[in-house]
Amino acid sequence: MFHILLALADKERHGYHIMQEVDERTEGKVRLGPGTLYGSIKRMLADGWVEETEERPDPEMDDERRRYYRLTDFGFRVASAEAERLARLVKMARSRKLLSKTQVS
Amino acid sequence: MSTSSANTSSSSANGLPANGPPVLKRHAVSTRVYRLLLRFYPLEFRQEYGLHMAQVFRDCCRTADVCEGWSGLWNLWLRTLFDLIRTAPSEHLENLRKENSLMKNLRNDALAFGGCIGIIVIAMVLLNYGRKHDVSTILVVGYALDALITTGVIGNLIVFLLVKVTRLNPFRTALWTFLVVSAAPLLLLAAVGSRIDPQFRFGSVLIGYVASFLFWVGVHWLWSQTRKQPQALA
Repeated sequence: MFHILLALADKERHGYHIMQEVDERTEGKVRLGPGTLYGSIKRMLADGWVEETEERPDPEMDDERRRYYRLTDFGFRVASAEAERLARLVKMARSRKLLSKTQVS
Repeated sequence: MSTSSANTSSSSANGLPANGPPVLKRHAVSTRVYRLLLRFYPLEFRQEYGLHMAQVFRDCCRTADVCEGWSGLWNLWLRTLFDLIRTAPSEHLENLRKENSLMKNLRNDALAFGGCIGIIVIAMVLLNYGRKHDVSTILVVGYALDALITTGVIGNLIVFLLVKVTRLNPFRTALWTFLVVSAAPLLLLAAVGSRIDPQFRFGSVLIGYVASFLFWVGVHWLWSQTRKQPQALA
């Protein structure tokens, strides 16, 4: 779910665009299937982390059947909290010398 | 996206490109098979997201085919089948959990309604016994028992119907319903009571209706508290 929140952090995207973004950011290590993607979106919509948007960033280049999603304020706070938690873990791992300098950067 | 519109325009009624190149045919066949596989998901989920899942799969087919050819398509299918095996049962399980909580709510409602009926029946038996055997202690609370039965039958019926149909807050609904249901007969009795019965005492009737109001609102408050607990835990 965090990968989807990250993909939506900067702008609204439709399902396939989210998949591509996750794939690119993780260098192909995380590849979401349609079931995982829409199952997660369903739960995030129910929890109020994301919302559907009526605005279409580029209507001329787009299929109007596509649904665009964006983070809500609450979703943004959830993503920030998770990012901070992960950052604390990385800091802890660094202090225990579990990460090499190249991995840290 | 322009490929998508070209694809759609050259498609036949069954979704296959009539005279399109073999690559497009491959995508269309894959998408059709995936659409069939979507039947493994619950109906509700399929209706909401099925179309979009198929659309995303078609886009993935196109990218995989363009970038990696047959091997890309093969890998995509393996990943998608694994995804389906993993996510379809979990969606069914989630639906099942929802139905269980609905059943639990219905059971709670039935128990609460049954409890109210039980209280009304006990009050009626008690009142009849007191009148028949002239038991003074029961007759003292007779006014409260009368009010308990009158407002209980009408008020509880209204409350349970309103809560089921409108999904209003159960406790607030009970509070306002019993306020109205208690106040209406009280005002009626205040207006005509002394004309019907020369021994009519408004003070006793007022105490009876206030006691009945507090009793029923208290019962509904307890019921709303027991309904809140499982939701808070979940």
